[in-house]
Amino acid sequence: MSTVIRDNLRILRCAFVSAFADMRATYTWRTWTFAWLVRILCQVTLFAFIGKLIGNPATTEYLVVGNSVFITADIVMMVCATTSWERMAGTLPLLIGAPASPFVVFAGRSVQWLVDGLACSTVSLMLLAPVLGVHLPFSAVLLAVPMVALISLSVYAFGLVLAGLALRVMSARNIIGRLGSILLMVLTGVQVPVDFWPAPLRVVAQFLPLTHGLEAVRTVLHGGSGGTVLKGLGLEIAVGFGWSLVAVYTYWRLVASGRKDGSIEFGG
Amino acid sequence: MNTTDSPAVEVRRLAREYSRRGKPPRRALDDVDLAIGQGEVHGLLGPNGAGKTTLCKILCTVLLPTSGTALVNGFDVVTKTDAVRRSIGIVFGGERGLYTRLSARQNLRYWSALYRQPKAVGYRRVEELLDRMGLGDRADEPVETFSRGMKQRLHLARGLIGDPRTLILDEPTVGMDPVAARDFRELVRELRSEGRTVLLTTHDMAEAEALCDRVSLIDSGRLLATESPRTIGQWLSKYERVRAERVPAEVVSHLRAVPGVGGVTAAGDVVTVETVAEGAAGAVLKVLVDGGVTTVSTVRPSLEEVYLHVIGERGLAVG
Amino acid sequence: MTGLFWAAVRFQAQSLRRSPEYLMSLVTIPALTIAFLAIVRNSGRDDLVPYAVLGAALMTVWATALYVCGELIESERYGGTLEGLLAAPAPFSVLIIARISLVTVVSFLGLAESGLIAWLLFGVTIPVPHPGLLLLTLLCTAFAMVGTSSIMSALFVLARSARIFQNSLSYPFYLLGGLVVPVALLPGWLQPVSRVIFLSWTADLLRDCLRVESPADAVPRLAVIVGLGVLAFAAGLTMSRAILRRIRQNGSVGYA
Repeated sequence: MSTVIRDNLRILRCAFVSAFADMRATYTWRTWTFAWLVRILCQVTLFAFIGKLIGNPATTEYLVVGNSVFITADIVMMVCATTSWERMAGTLPLLIGAPASPFVVFAGRSVQWLVDGLACSTVSLMLLAPVLGVHLPFSAVLLAVPMVALISLSVYAFGLVLAGLALRVMSARNIIGRLGSILLMVLTGVQVPVDFWPAPLRVVAQFLPLTHGLEAVRTVLHGGSGGTVLKGLGLEIAVGFGWSLVAVYTYWRLVASGRKDGSIEFGG
Repeated sequence: MNTTDSPAVEVRRLAREYSRRGKPPRRALDDVDLAIGQGEVHGLLGPNGAGKTTLCKILCTVLLPTSGTALVNGFDVVTKTDAVRRSIGIVFGGERGLYTRLSARQNLRYWSALYRQPKAVGYRRVEELLDRMGLGDRADEPVETFSRGMKQRLHLARGLIGDPRTLILDEPTVGMDPVAARDFRELVRELRSEGRTVLLTTHDMAEAEALCDRVSLIDSGRLLATESPRTIGQWLSKYERVRAERVPAEVVSHLRAVPGVGGVTAAGDVVTVETVAEGAAGAVLKVLVDGGVTTVSTVRPSLEEVYLHVIGERGLAVG
Repeated sequence: MTGLFWAAVRFQAQSLRRSPEYLMSLVTIPALTIAFLAIVRNSGRDDLVPYAVLGAALMTVWATALYVCGELIESERYGGTLEGLLAAPAPFSVLIIARISLVTVVSFLGLAESGLIAWLLFGVTIPVPHPGLLLLTLLCTAFAMVGTSSIMSALFVLARSARIFQNSLSYPFYLLGGLVVPVALLPGWLQPVSRVIFLSWTADLLRDCLRVESPADAVPRLAVIVGLGVLAFAAGLTMSRAILRRIRQNGSVGYA
C-alpha cells in the first residue's frame, strides 16, 4: 500500500513539473503581472463598480469579496482546458498503456492553476479591495487565504470531473469549463446570496464547491462566530471530497470505455 | 515547343539572403540565371535546402529578392505583382495550403473568387476542375478526410483555377505513394499538351527525367547546370552500383578488368562495384552471372552522389 | 471587388459553421447577463436592467472581436494558407475586412440573447423608446468595431502569443469602455483614456436610447463613433500592409 502511495506521489511531482513548465512557456513574470493579473483585477473591479452603480456600499463589499474569492474558482476551472492538452499532445494512449493510474497524472497536470488562482485572489483581497474602498481587517484576510486555498482544491475536483467529460467531447472542452465557471459564479453566492434563487437551485448550490467555503470566508471577514466558519469549511471539505470520488470514477470510466470503443487517440 | 519570342520566366542574377544574428547572412539563392521558354516544362532538381522553394516563392511574388531581377510572363515580380499574380498558378506540395475544415468545392470556389473570376464563370470552372481531377464525387466532403494523393490533386486544381499560362509546382509529389505520383505525372503531361509553361521542382531524378523538357540543377543556392533529360538518364545509368554476394575470387579480378568499372570493394561476403560509364553495369552483371553468382542487385545513385560526380568532373566549385 | 467581398463573407460563414467553437463567446458571455440581472434584481434596482442587458451584449461583441477577428490573419499563417493568399491577385485588406464584418454582425446576436435571457429567466422586457436611433447607433458601432478588429488582427500576428493579448484585453476594455458601468463612474484620471475608445461613446448612447427622454447630442456622438472607427480602419489597414510587406521581405513575420 505504501509503495502505491509513494509511486503516486512521485507521479504527482512529475506532473507538477509538467504543469509549471506549461505555465512558464506562456508567461514570464512581467507578462503574468501586467497582462494576466491586471485583467483578473479588472474583473473584480467591474463588479465592484456595479456595486458603485447601485449605490449601496454593502453591495459593493459583498461583490468585491465574492468576486475576489471567485477568481480562484474561475482560474482553477482552466483545468478543463489544460486537461485536454494531454489528449491533444497525443500522450493519452501512452499514459493509459503505462502502469500508473492516469487519474494521478491528470490530477497533477493542471495544478499551476491552483497556485495562479490563489495568488490572484490574495492580491485582490489584500491590495485591490482597499483601493476599491472596501476595507477588510488584515488579520481576517490572513485567515481567509488558507480558506481560499481549500476552496480552490474542492473547485479543482469539480473541474476535474468536467474536464473528464470534456475529454470525451474534445470540441466542447473550452465551453464546458467556461459554463462550469459561470454556473459557480451564479449559484454559489458570489454575486447574490444563495437564497435569491428558487428552492431547486438552492439545493443544487449546496452540492457545488465554493458555496460553503465562500460563506465561511464572509463570516471570517465580518468577525462572525468560529463555529459557523468551521461548519462552512467542513461542508466545503465534504463537497470537495465527494467531487474527488466522482472524478476518480469518471477517469476510470473514461479509460474503460475508451479502450472498448477505440476513442483513445494518439492525437486530438 | 517555343512559339512566342519572350521567355515565360526570365531570371537574371537573382539573389536572396536571410540575415542571421551574430552570423554572416545565409545565401538561399546566389546569382541565379535562368530562362524558361513558353510552353516548356522545366525541372528544377536539387536536394532539400538547395533553394528551390525560395526561387518559387520569389517567382510567385510571395518573397522579395535581395538583388537581381525576375520576370514572369514579361512582368517584374517586384513592381508588377498584380499582373504576375493574375498570370500564374502555384501548387505547393505538402499538407499546408488548403482549408481542411471546408469541402473541396468550397475551397475551389473561394480561390476562384480570389483569382478575380466572375461568379458564374468561376463556379463552372470549379466543376470542370473537380471532374478533371477525379474529385467530383467527394467534392462536398471536408478536405481533412482526403488522402494525400487527393489533396495533391486538389492543390493542382487550385493552381489551375485561374487558367494560368504559367504554373509553378513546388515538390508536388513529395510524400506521395507511387501510384498517386504516377497519376499526377500524367496530369502534368496533359498540362504541357495544353501549351502551359510549367516550372517543376523536385529532388527525384527519375521524375525530372520523365517529365521535363530541360532540367536545371541547383545546390546551395547556385544554379549548377541546365541539362536535357537524356543527360540525367545517362548519369543515372553511368553512376550505378552493383552489389553481389558470395563472389568467387577469380570473378572479382575479372570485374576489375571490365571497362567502365571505377572500383571494386569487398567487405566480408559482399562485393560492391562502382561504375563510371554508361552501360558498364550491364557488363558487370554479365560477368557475375557467368561466374555463377546469383545474389545480385543494382543500386541507382542518389542525387548527392550524382552531384559529387558531376561537380567533381567539371571542376565546379560548390559554395 | 464586391464579388470578392461577398465570396470572403461566404467563406467566413462556411468556416464558422464548420468550426463552431469559434463562437464560444456567443454562448459564455450572454450567460453573464444572468449574473448582472441577479445583482440588480437582488438590490431592488430594476431600473438598471438595461445596463445589465446592454453590458453583456457589448461584452459579447468585444470578446468576439478579440477571440475570433483577432486571430484571422494569424490562423492563416499558422495553417499554411497565408502564402497562397499573398500570391493571389485579390487585395488582402478586402478579404480581411469582409471576414471581420461577417463575424462582427454575427456577434451582435449577443444582444438578442441577452434580451431573451432577461425575458425568459427574469420576466423583464426592455422598452425601446427610440428604435431608429438605436439601430443607427448599432450600425455605427458595427462599423467602428470592424475597424478596431482590423487593428487586432494585424497586432496579433506580431505577438509571440496572441493568447496573452486576448486574455488581457478583455476585462480591462469592458471597464474602460464603460460597457456595463458608465465611464462617468470611473476615476477622473481614467476618463480621458476611456473617451478615446469608441466603446464608451457607444455604450452611453445605447443606454440613452433606452431612456424615455430623447438622447442629447445624438448626431455629434454618432459622428465621434464613426470618426474613431475611421481612425481605427486607417491604423489597422496600415499595420496589415506593413506586416505583409515584412513577410515578403523577410520570408517570415519576425516576432515583436
